[in-house]
Amino acid sequence: MRKILNVDNLHVAYGKFKVLHELSFDVEESQVLGVIGPNGAGKTTLMNALSGLVIPYDGTVVFDGVNITKKSPDERCRHGIGRTYQVPRPFEGLTVFENVLVGAAYGVGKSERAVIAKAVEVLKSTSLYEKSDTVAGRLTLLDRKRLEIARALATEPKLLLLDEVAAGLTDAEVHEVMELVEYLKGTGITIIWIEHVIKTMAESTDKLLCLSTGTGLIYGDPDYVMASKEVEEVYLGVEEE
Amino acid sequence: MRLNAENIKGMLLRYIVAIVILAALFTLPFWGGRYIVMLVMLMGMYITLGHMWNLLAGYSGLTSLGQQMYIGVGGYTLAVASTNLGLPLVVGLIMGGIVSVIIAVGLSYLLLRMKGMYFAIATWMFAEAMLLIVATVSFLGKGQGLFITEARKLVTAQIYYFSIVLVVITTIVIVVLLRSKLGLGLFAIRDNDSASATSGVPQFKSKLYCMIISSFITGVCGGVFYMSQVWVQPYASFSISWTVAAVFIVVIGGIGTIAGPIVGGIIYVFLSQYLSTLSQIGSLNMVILGVIAVAVILVAPKGIVGTVQEKFGFEILSARRWLGKSLAKVPVAPAPASEAERES
Repeated sequence: MRKILNVDNLHVAYGKFKVLHELSFDVEESQVLGVIGPNGAGKTTLMNALSGLVIPYDGTVVFDGVNITKKSPDERCRHGIGRTYQVPRPFEGLTVFENVLVGAAYGVGKSERAVIAKAVEVLKSTSLYEKSDTVAGRLTLLDRKRLEIARALATEPKLLLLDEVAAGLTDAEVHEVMELVEYLKGTGITIIWIEHVIKTMAESTDKLLCLSTGTGLIYGDPDYVMASKEVEEVYLGVEEE
Repeated sequence: MRLNAENIKGMLLRYIVAIVILAALFTLPFWGGRYIVMLVMLMGMYITLGHMWNLLAGYSGLTSLGQQMYIGVGGYTLAVASTNLGLPLVVGLIMGGIVSVIIAVGLSYLLLRMKGMYFAIATWMFAEAMLLIVATVSFLGKGQGLFITEARKLVTAQIYYFSIVLVVITTIVIVVLLRSKLGLGLFAIRDNDSASATSGVPQFKSKLYCMIISSFITGVCGGVFYMSQVWVQPYASFSISWTVAAVFIVVIGGIGTIAGPIVGGIIYVFLSQYLSTLSQIGSLNMVILGVIAVAVILVAPKGIVGTVQEKFGFEILSARRWLGKSLAKVPVAPAPASEAERES
């Protein structure tokens, strides 16, 4: 399988505080990579570094054969990287349809007909079509999460970054979002997915990357990662005898 | 677009209202008194000023405190072009817009790297710096300023038409802009700049376009205003009171609405005229206007137009893209069934 993303020796810092260091991994096309790790491990910073919201001070990010390390977020989006946010960031003054149109118009950038067609297709597939003319600021948390995914999907991403799409939802709502994630997996889009529900991650991903204090602790098949002592130690604090 | 009886009725009504307003505006000098003509002329200029500040602050998140720079530049360029270079007034007005754009583009590479308060203070600083430069240059008349000799030949009614044409063109530009792809991007930037960036909206380019449009039209507006004054003087033309007026107009009318600056501009001109008859102390008028603005913010934070629109559920000169209207305009092939539909 072709490698679509290569992260090599990534270093990110906020001022003097190093958040990510010496982080390297690859993602293959159509693969679902789960990123786990305790709070403060640098998971969301990794998403920000991949989507261009923070620029690393060292290391490279190569996506689809292009070095995007210094590229802006909008350039990365047009190149095929879409993302969602842990705390949804809808365009609150715009309707659901307009939110998705933003992604379609700027991400896809085809004719008006193609942009509207894409928006309608995405609204249908994310079960938001009936709420198209609702102002996004009035949506429930579940629909805001759906809208995050819909807006990202409208940009026609080759790589989708999902940042805790299930966080803050009830069990029933988590089930609905997971169905949506299953649909995404079926589309063949490459996904990097952060979630705290370890069991779900182990079952639904192709590879797992466990981060600890800003660096990659262990990377591999979910069964291998979940069985490792390092992961157990990070989550449960079990020390080696 | 598919037309039904309701659509045709609505469109007809909108066209009739627009034609009546335009007809009234363009014939006013023939049937209105001189004072009324002067008032509407001022309204045209202040509405234009408000539209341009609203474009920056209301749609792009660029809270500028330096709009007076373009007013002053527009006035001075008109004076130099018409008096010193002997060019026609219209050419001087357009040159004022172009010089404003050159300055805005030059500054944008610094300004657009700042956000919020930093952007606001930086724009104010550049405007103050421009005031100090202009007030010390002999060629520009130092503190005394310049006469716009050619403008003396014009009567109020002629300048009135410059103002009306400017405000009509500006309103059309705003409506067309906000209904375009750029407008959609600006709404997104206003609501969340990081999410808009990761959705593909080019931040720098979108904001730069706004600065270019805003500086050009504000520069032309400054020229039209000083055409009516015949004399441009640095401390008045580069005064922050221009931006204060723009902020008042937009806050009262409704920030982020197309009709807001129109309503705000009309109220501002009436209020400032009325207050000037009550008090000869200019700064006291500003205090009263400030108190009114604060009261409006407390009672109706979205301004008059924003509050009315929210209460009655309609939008005047709306830039909203409704799904139904978009589909009627651009029919698309049926989309795949939603999850619920697939299950049923």
